[in-house]
Parts: sequence; structure tokens; C-alpha cells
Amino acid sequence: MTLAALWREPLVQAAVWSLATILLYLLAKRVHLRWPRWWLMPLAVAPALLMIAALALNVSYRDYIRGTHWLVALLGPATVAFAVPIYEQRALIRRRWPLLLAGMIAGSLTAVATSWALAYLLGIDGELRLSLLPRSMSTPFAMEVSGEIGGIPDLTAVFVVLTGIIGAAVGDIVLARLPLRSTLAKGALFGVGAHGAGTARAHQIGREEGAIAGLVMVLVGLMNVALAPLIIQFMK
Amino acid sequence: MMQRNILIPAHRLLRRNRLVQIGLLGAFWAAGEALARATGLPLPGGIIGMALALVLFLAGGLKVASMKRGANWMLAEMLLFFVPAVLALLDHRELFGMLGLKIFALIIVSTTAVMCVTALTVDLCYRWTERHDARRAVA
Repeated sequence: MTLAALWREPLVQAAVWSLATILLYLLAKRVHLRWPRWWLMPLAVAPALLMIAALALNVSYRDYIRGTHWLVALLGPATVAFAVPIYEQRALIRRRWPLLLAGMIAGSLTAVATSWALAYLLGIDGELRLSLLPRSMSTPFAMEVSGEIGGIPDLTAVFVVLTGIIGAAVGDIVLARLPLRSTLAKGALFGVGAHGAGTARAHQIGREEGAIAGLVMVLVGLMNVALAPLIIQFMK
Repeated sequence: MMQRNILIPAHRLLRRNRLVQIGLLGAFWAAGEALARATGLPLPGGIIGMALALVLFLAGGLKVASMKRGANWMLAEMLLFFVPAVLALLDHRELFGMLGLKIFALIIVSTTAVMCVTALTVDLCYRWTERHDARRAVA
């Protein structure tokens, strides 16, 4: 078998791209540990390098994701893993849940209102504007809401991921500027603003922050799916 | 007696081995997926699996220690699992131009606003309840 034929083999492709993804992520993590700048965060650097490689080698997203989908699928078990920090912080959550609820409602309303207003100002309209509204929640929820309010679920998924990356970086900056006293506020900020990626970042900051962010992320998703019909009313 | 002899090492393995614990997380996720499909609930399997694990922790049917190592590892490396999803951008070349810049700006401004509003709401309510509690304690 020639090298070119070997390269076209799906199993080889899967192994090469999976390995490349993992190695570039580990490398990006090292770099970020050494130079902790927000624009050097692993979730921005690793995909950027992979995208350059894919474009250079003329590999489509379909070919890439076919071999690396198992990594994305691990988000399922990773979600289950949040049961541990949430359980460990149950006393705090039981005592302070009204605060978290207030933050979730305020945050979700801000997300929809600012997205709608900014899209209007920037001249983004139609399906694209609707696809931008359900951004501050994890992908499965966001796609559900997007379909319901008349957006394009596929595009919403891309925006959700971008929000996660940008939010994880913005969160650090906001955290450094706001005089926050409670870990509750620090966790809720990441959970509402940047869902999964933000929660992962919050978990790196502290155990309590991570637990709160995880809980808030899940609840915001549930709340938004329940409130989608209301959002439609708001837009009419 | 015989059964106990087999169970004890299995138990010990669950307490100590990270890989076995990750397998357990996967089992909860699979159970959540199956439940979502069976009931037609519009919820991700991972979230149902998390709820199942929480219920078992609270009911005392499962010790946190048998999941903690695996869970900590998964949470620490969670960002890796998002990396392939970002490459979906390759299928949306229309976002590489002016429109992409606009959307980028929108996401930055909107997310900053969401984070500030959420954090300030929670923190102000927190300070208010703290003061309230303090006053009640004095009275």
C-alpha cells in the first residue's frame, strides 16, 4: 500500500486527527501555563492550529469530526462528573439557592436582550439574529431553543462554542475588574455567561466556583428550554 | 462468603482506579441517554445521568469516593472535549469576513454584559442577605 492510500484510510485519519488534537491541546496548555495571557488560552490556540492544518491539507470538517467525534462525546460523561462537586457543595447551594436563581434570571434576560439589540444595531436580521439569541447555555439546550424560536440550530451550535471560548477569556477579565465578595457570584458568572467552557475555567479557579458554575449551567439550560415560548412572545 | 471475597477487591478497585471511575461516569451517561430515548424527554443524556448520580449520592446508595478521582480528572481536562467542536467553523466560511467580525463583537459585548449583570445581581443579593443575617443575629 502506498503512503497516499494509507493516508486516505479512515482509521488512519481518525488516529492522526485524534492524536493531533490531543497533542496540540496539551502543548497549548503548557504554553498557557508558562505565559498566562487570555489570547493564549488552549481553547483558542489548539483549534486555530488545527484549523490551519485542516485548511492546508484540504481536509473538510466532516472528515475531521468523523475521526474525533469520540472526544466531543466525552462531554456526556464529563457532565455526569459535575454531580461530585455539586454534591460536595450541597450545604452552600441549599442555603443560597435564591441568590443563584436571581442571577440566572437576570443573566438570561440580559443575554437575550443584548443579543437582540446588538444584532439590530449591527444590521444582522432574520434567521441569523434568531440563531444568535440562545447562546448562553450548553449546546443541546441552545439547539432546542433555536429550533423552537425559528433560528438555525446548526449555526447556533457554532455561536454557542464561540461564546464559550470568548466567555472563558472575558470571564477572567470581568473577574479581575469587579469587586466581588462571594464565590457564588464568581461561579454564577461563568455558568450563565459561558456555559461548558466557562464552567471548565471556573473549575480551574476553584472547587466551589466550579461546582456553582456547573449547577448554574445546567439550570440555565433547563430554564431557557422552559422559557423559549415566552421569548417568542417577547419578539412578536 | 465466596461472594464477599470477590466484592471486596472490586470495591477497592473502584475506590482507587481512575479509569474504572471514568467507566462508571460513562455508564451513568449511557443510562441517561437510554432514559432520554425511552421517555422522549428533550434533555441531554449527560444531564439525566448527573441527576441520577446526585440522587444516588443523596440517598446514600453510592459513595462520592467511588467517583471522585475520575470526576476530578474529567473536569480538569474538559476543555479538550470542546476543541473538535470549534472546527465546525470550517463549514461556515461566510463567518470569516465582515459578518464574522460583527458577530465576534456582538458575542464579546453581550457576554461581558451577561457576566457583569449575573455577578453583580448575585453579589449584591449576597451582601444584602449577609447584612440582614447579621442584624438578625444582633437582635
